[in-house]
Amino acid sequence: MSNSHHDHDHDHDHAHKPMVDEITDFEVLEIALRELCIEKGLFTAEEHRVFTEYAEQIGPTPAARLVAKAWLDPQFKKLALTDAIKACKEVGVDWLHPTGFGAPSDFMAFKILENTPTLHHVIVCALCSCYPRPILGNSPEWYRTPNYRRRIVRWPRQVLSEFGLQLPDSIEVRVEDSNQKHRFMVMPMRPAGTEGWTEDQLAEILTRDCLIGVALPKPGVTNNVTPLVREAIRPASL
Amino acid sequence: MTTAAERAEQLALVSRLKTFYPEVSEWPTPDEITHSHWLAYMKTPHDVGGELDYPHPYENKEEEQWELMTYVLCEVLAWRGIWVTEERRRIGNVDCGRSIYLGLPYYARWLWSVGRLLIEKKHINWAELTDRLAEVKNRYAGPLNGRRPEAAPKFAGDGKGVKRNEFHIKAVGLGDPPVFAGTADPAKFKVGDRVRVRDLPAMFYTRTPEYVRGAEGMIAEVAYESPAPEDETWDREDAKSEWFYIVRFNQSDLWDNYTGPKNDTLQTELPERWLEALNV
Repeated sequence: MSNSHHDHDHDHDHAHKPMVDEITDFEVLEIALRELCIEKGLFTAEEHRVFTEYAEQIGPTPAARLVAKAWLDPQFKKLALTDAIKACKEVGVDWLHPTGFGAPSDFMAFKILENTPTLHHVIVCALCSCYPRPILGNSPEWYRTPNYRRRIVRWPRQVLSEFGLQLPDSIEVRVEDSNQKHRFMVMPMRPAGTEGWTEDQLAEILTRDCLIGVALPKPGVTNNVTPLVREAIRPASL
Repeated sequence: MTTAAERAEQLALVSRLKTFYPEVSEWPTPDEITHSHWLAYMKTPHDVGGELDYPHPYENKEEEQWELMTYVLCEVLAWRGIWVTEERRRIGNVDCGRSIYLGLPYYARWLWSVGRLLIEKKHINWAELTDRLAEVKNRYAGPLNGRRPEAAPKFAGDGKGVKRNEFHIKAVGLGDPPVFAGTADPAKFKVGDRVRVRDLPAMFYTRTPEYVRGAEGMIAEVAYESPAPEDETWDREDAKSEWFYIVRFNQSDLWDNYTGPKNDTLQTELPERWLEALNV
């Protein structure tokens, strides 16, 4: 019954970070299950370590790199739009890693959706949180919430406008609900004002939110629309 | 929970958790349940697309160490053939029920699903789990003072007698769904075909969202072959593959009073069993 006692004193300066210094129920369960799995021989500590190393290095960098490259190289763009998994290898991402058949929850069916002057894509998984994790890293929390998933399929323009993205009626909005084994990522159009830019410069404005489709790349904007961070009690990054 | 007063306090907390419609009494008699209510109770809780909700702030959060470890735990179990992703998605997103689905953090459900999996498939028993929970709790009793909780298995099992699926061997070098290429009957539909999504009951598990049931759309892509989630989720390696399709719907057909322009669209992926040809 400890839960009703520790939420009063520390809330003012750290509203988003309860000062829990005791082991949490989640930590106890995770540790117990992991220990039992290893003792039963379901997997080895070494396999767990190998996958952890894989999971710690995924992030949005290769996705931004891939789109920047496609903007500069029409041949590569063609490859990205027709065989996205092969194109990923050119930015250092092998979808078969690290198990030999991929990261199990991410499958091996990846498509890149090209925006045009008359078509804008936005991705969601209305059933869970399917996301092109190997190339874009972990999904942001808001992408997983029932709120985003309930509303984006039915009121896409309203939701996009809450992200600050207003699209004219001349642009078709296409919601891609990745509810099975396919994973999707958006290839936005290269914005004006980036003429002569290098791949590095272009990659900087290709934020995660642009690749989900809730923002458009803009010269000078290198941050996501949703920077608000709720701190972890014992963060994974340490 | 030890004293009578503490037990009463916890029961009072649980009493406030409501999981039924306010217009129907708790523990209803059969005549109180309409067909619509029946469908609503049978609906898989993960299927939230189109439900009414108001704008919330789009928040990002830092990942807890246990969340990362939970993700890794689930994936390593799949790597080693203890389950496939479709089993995880059912146990953690549907079997958990609506209160856990909406009431606990995202990765808490992933974690819950591992406990359920290990007990259901007889890899561990209930006492082994509960004993270990008590032991870990005891190991870290009191303030942590900067200690980071870590797993400490007593030994490494040899894993020889462990029952594993065939999938985790067959899929090596190919991935999923390429491992199922060539295993389905010829595709019934081609790009451009008009189809209707069948209005089948959503009992137990499906990944066909309710918001497209009965709706008319067009085949946008013949995607891949795979067993349907309705079979794969029950660890049925004997299930026959079928073709999956990306289907395009016009938003103004899909939703009553869609407020955007007429040409807005939505695409989702469906297995062949859910689709019927529209005679034009």
